[in-house]
Amino acid sequence: MKLSRRAMLRGALGGAVCTMGLPLLDAMLDTHGTAHADGTSLPKRFAVFFWANGLPWHGAHGHGRPDHWTPSTIGAGWSATPLLSPFAGIEPTIDVITGLEPHTEIPGDPPGQGDGHMRGCAVALTSDRPRSEGFHHPDHVFAFNRATIDQVIAAHPDFAGRSILGTQPRFRSIELAVSPARFHDYGHWNAISHRGPDMLNLPMRSARELFAHLFGVPADTAVLGRRASVLDVVADDARALRRRLGGRDRERLDAHLEHVGEIQTRLRAGVAACTTPAMPGESSGDLIAELEAQTRLLALAMSCDLTRVASMMLTSPATTHVFRDAGVAGGMHQVVHDGDWDATYRVTQRQMQALRVFLDVLASVPDHDGGTLLDSMVVYATSEYGEGTTHSNREHPVILAGGARGALARGIHAREPGGNLAKVHVTILRALGIDTPSYGFHGAETSEAVPGLLA
Amino acid sequence: MRRLPAAVVALALVGCEGVVLDDPASPGRATTASYEPGPAVLPRLTTRQYHRSVEDLLGGPVPESAVEADTTPFLFASIGAGSTTLSARGAQQLEEAAHVAADAVFADEARRVALVGCTPASADDPCARAFVARFLRRAFRRPIEHDELERWTTLARAETDPWRGLASLVAGVLQSPSFVYRVELGEPDPTRPGWSRLHRHELASRLAFVLWGRIPDDALLDAAERGVLDTHEGLRHEARRLLDDERARETVRAFFREYLGLSALDALDRDPTLFPSFTPALGRSMRGEIERLVEHVVFEQDGDFRAIFDSPVTFVDAPLAALYELPITLEDADEEGFVRVTLPAEGVRAGLLTTAGFLAAQAHPNLTSPTRRGKFVRERLLCQLVADPPQDVELDLGEAEDDDGRPRTLRERLAVHRENPACATCHAQIDPIGLGMEDFDAIGAHRTLEAGRAIDARGDLDALAFEGARELGELMRHDGRVPACVTRQLFRHAIGRLEEERERRAIEELTERFAESGFRFRELLFALVTSEAFRTVRTTEEEAR
Repeated sequence: MKLSRRAMLRGALGGAVCTMGLPLLDAMLDTHGTAHADGTSLPKRFAVFFWANGLPWHGAHGHGRPDHWTPSTIGAGWSATPLLSPFAGIEPTIDVITGLEPHTEIPGDPPGQGDGHMRGCAVALTSDRPRSEGFHHPDHVFAFNRATIDQVIAAHPDFAGRSILGTQPRFRSIELAVSPARFHDYGHWNAISHRGPDMLNLPMRSARELFAHLFGVPADTAVLGRRASVLDVVADDARALRRRLGGRDRERLDAHLEHVGEIQTRLRAGVAACTTPAMPGESSGDLIAELEAQTRLLALAMSCDLTRVASMMLTSPATTHVFRDAGVAGGMHQVVHDGDWDATYRVTQRQMQALRVFLDVLASVPDHDGGTLLDSMVVYATSEYGEGTTHSNREHPVILAGGARGALARGIHAREPGGNLAKVHVTILRALGIDTPSYGFHGAETSEAVPGLLA
Repeated sequence: MRRLPAAVVALALVGCEGVVLDDPASPGRATTASYEPGPAVLPRLTTRQYHRSVEDLLGGPVPESAVEADTTPFLFASIGAGSTTLSARGAQQLEEAAHVAADAVFADEARRVALVGCTPASADDPCARAFVARFLRRAFRRPIEHDELERWTTLARAETDPWRGLASLVAGVLQSPSFVYRVELGEPDPTRPGWSRLHRHELASRLAFVLWGRIPDDALLDAAERGVLDTHEGLRHEARRLLDDERARETVRAFFREYLGLSALDALDRDPTLFPSFTPALGRSMRGEIERLVEHVVFEQDGDFRAIFDSPVTFVDAPLAALYELPITLEDADEEGFVRVTLPAEGVRAGLLTTAGFLAAQAHPNLTSPTRRGKFVRERLLCQLVADPPQDVELDLGEAEDDDGRPRTLRERLAVHRENPACATCHAQIDPIGLGMEDFDAIGAHRTLEAGRAIDARGDLDALAFEGARELGELMRHDGRVPACVTRQLFRHAIGRLEEERERRAIEELTERFAESGFRFRELLFALVTSEAFRTVRTTEEEAR
């Protein structure tokens, strides 16, 4: 039993096979295989899954359309509605949270702060509004006011401090994106992961790029040592320059210096204890095939502890992606604003099919304790607003998947019309073992988790 | 020619009620405040500046590695470079790119000898030391101190093979913050509290990056160190030399690519059932046309910049000529297949607003967008703010067919915007401009019918009626807000941030100089880089102490 886990693991999905070795020896686990021999717990992992333009509008938005999203029963044992039909059969592992909305205050000046794309994306990922002075409508600049939840988790000592075999993951986090379509190509629209204000983690946009990032390290450790030494001088140079600078520039350089230190640690640690998979082929342009290829590599990276935190932007806020494969001729942002409900419905359902693929890949990879990689995770799936056509943040869609190693109850539909969206963040942080007395900003502060979700 | 009203629309903005207002620091707002310098920024090199500078330093092309993509807040990569922070992956990309570039040069015997200038026996022989001093000075664009030279030389000494040692040093320099960031702090001006003047080498660096998009050449660095840039005449001489060099062209092209949003044309997506002739390559042809049109006006003609709005001359390749229904012969085509053409005097096209690139970039995959086209004119060309839609407003454009089953035109459907009071105040300012271009479809082809109905292409701009994009171009050509707007955008692009209130005076003066030169864009660039605003920054509190 233990031997088979330690040997090559095979996770099959759609006929394809990914093969990997594990860096963690089962001998170092305790007798139940659920914790390290010294009693420290195995790592949890976190991923954001983001889709664009919310949901098709329905009765709860006041438009008289049927609600094809919200499950009809509350609590455990919900069953899939038409829009949630991609999750049919796995409802017992998925939490659906409905009715919530941002409680952040909207400043009136500068104008545009109430715009759903901007505010909804920021609020879903930070529990805060966009930074007012970083907002400029004609140029659609959009600046987050603080770190997004993936980065809060990645940097939190309660989370980052845990290690396997005494080492930290090579990468603090991995940022990915699938659709190349952008409402604006301004950078600020291209990143849903931010380390702080004006600190964007621009996503990788292809499985090939991700492969190079994870595995494109020379195996020659002499070369790596030399590169690490070069960074000593680079860091000295940065410190000399730093002395000449004022406050804000100093912060930017400090971040750069911190990154240099991280690279140095990675170089000195040598190559990863991960079996290198085959290089992925060029993207065919198919949204779901590309998502699957990226997610396979991500799952491998998480399984051998190259990283524990990721974000996956299937489509960017207000995406102009054309879902021709769902029979929609116009760009998504346009058809949503034109009030084309049928097109919005088909596009949303396609994005849920993509989420199902994402979850399936994560669930196909065995974890060290005999469960699956997904069982060790919290996957937070959300969008930038409740419904796109009127820029409304009411009924903000939230799906939580993964059990956080038993800390998150599964298979629940929680509903609270008008409730505070920041409760989701409190729930996620607590499920991951991060001490969270309260969360949320500018009117969204709350100490409450979503009732019934923390096991 | 129709004349524009002298007074410029300047309304208060309350929600979406007053609708169009001038961007702060806009043309048309009289100001009495005198110029004061704005804050210094610490820009990273943009991706283009980084790649060009590495090439210059290493004496030719190297394998181009990915570095962190630019962000373009307020349209410009230069503003992103001064405001966003390098990510962890971005730092790693710089590290990897530096080794790839250094290894490529030092693996090639001819190239490494050409770069270093001799064959070093050790890291400390005179040959190696001279190279290190020269290389550091160019990479860091300033005099190098002894300590610094020593610090970097330790890298070369760490290896027994001096070539390998120098390769490590070069890889280090290429990822060093002194190379990757531009330091422009200046030194306090004793006669003017709060003002700092850029150091001579900081000024040389700023000139080179703004005019050439790369590090200064040795001639400019030498001139700076001799004090040439300290004098008015010297600065003007060097600025003129840079501006007259071919390398200035690429920078001007990059400015217009960002200002006009031309990169959107590289990823243009059109409905294949409606536009079977459209291919992504046609989008790139559209970008090529606009870039050549701008270069023609700015460089070949060196004439009135406003000609980009009514130029009878344009540039087309075979696919664009087919779209425009222009007969061409490809004998005189440039290397990318473009030929210069003179458009028919009585035709529907002349100038930027009639290019397929503008018309298609401001449209949807399967239909035109009078709203987007109108917004572009208001926001990009006139530098006005248009409020965004209010929350919770119904945006359904209504049925595609009327009661008799006849297809409704987009003009008819957009009437909703002007009838619904929540929308009307904003859309009344943008839709009438865009509706005047409805005789061009979503790929910029001319059309007379929409769904079997005759196109109505009448529009108006601030009570001036026009019909068709060509007439709108004539209005733009004579609208005083247009050159003021492009001056402001160029200022932002060059300074790498939004202007402050106290800098408005400098922009107004530049606009005046632009007009005095007959709106020659090169003269605007020249006026900008020789202006006081280009050479001064606000003294930081640390320095004032």
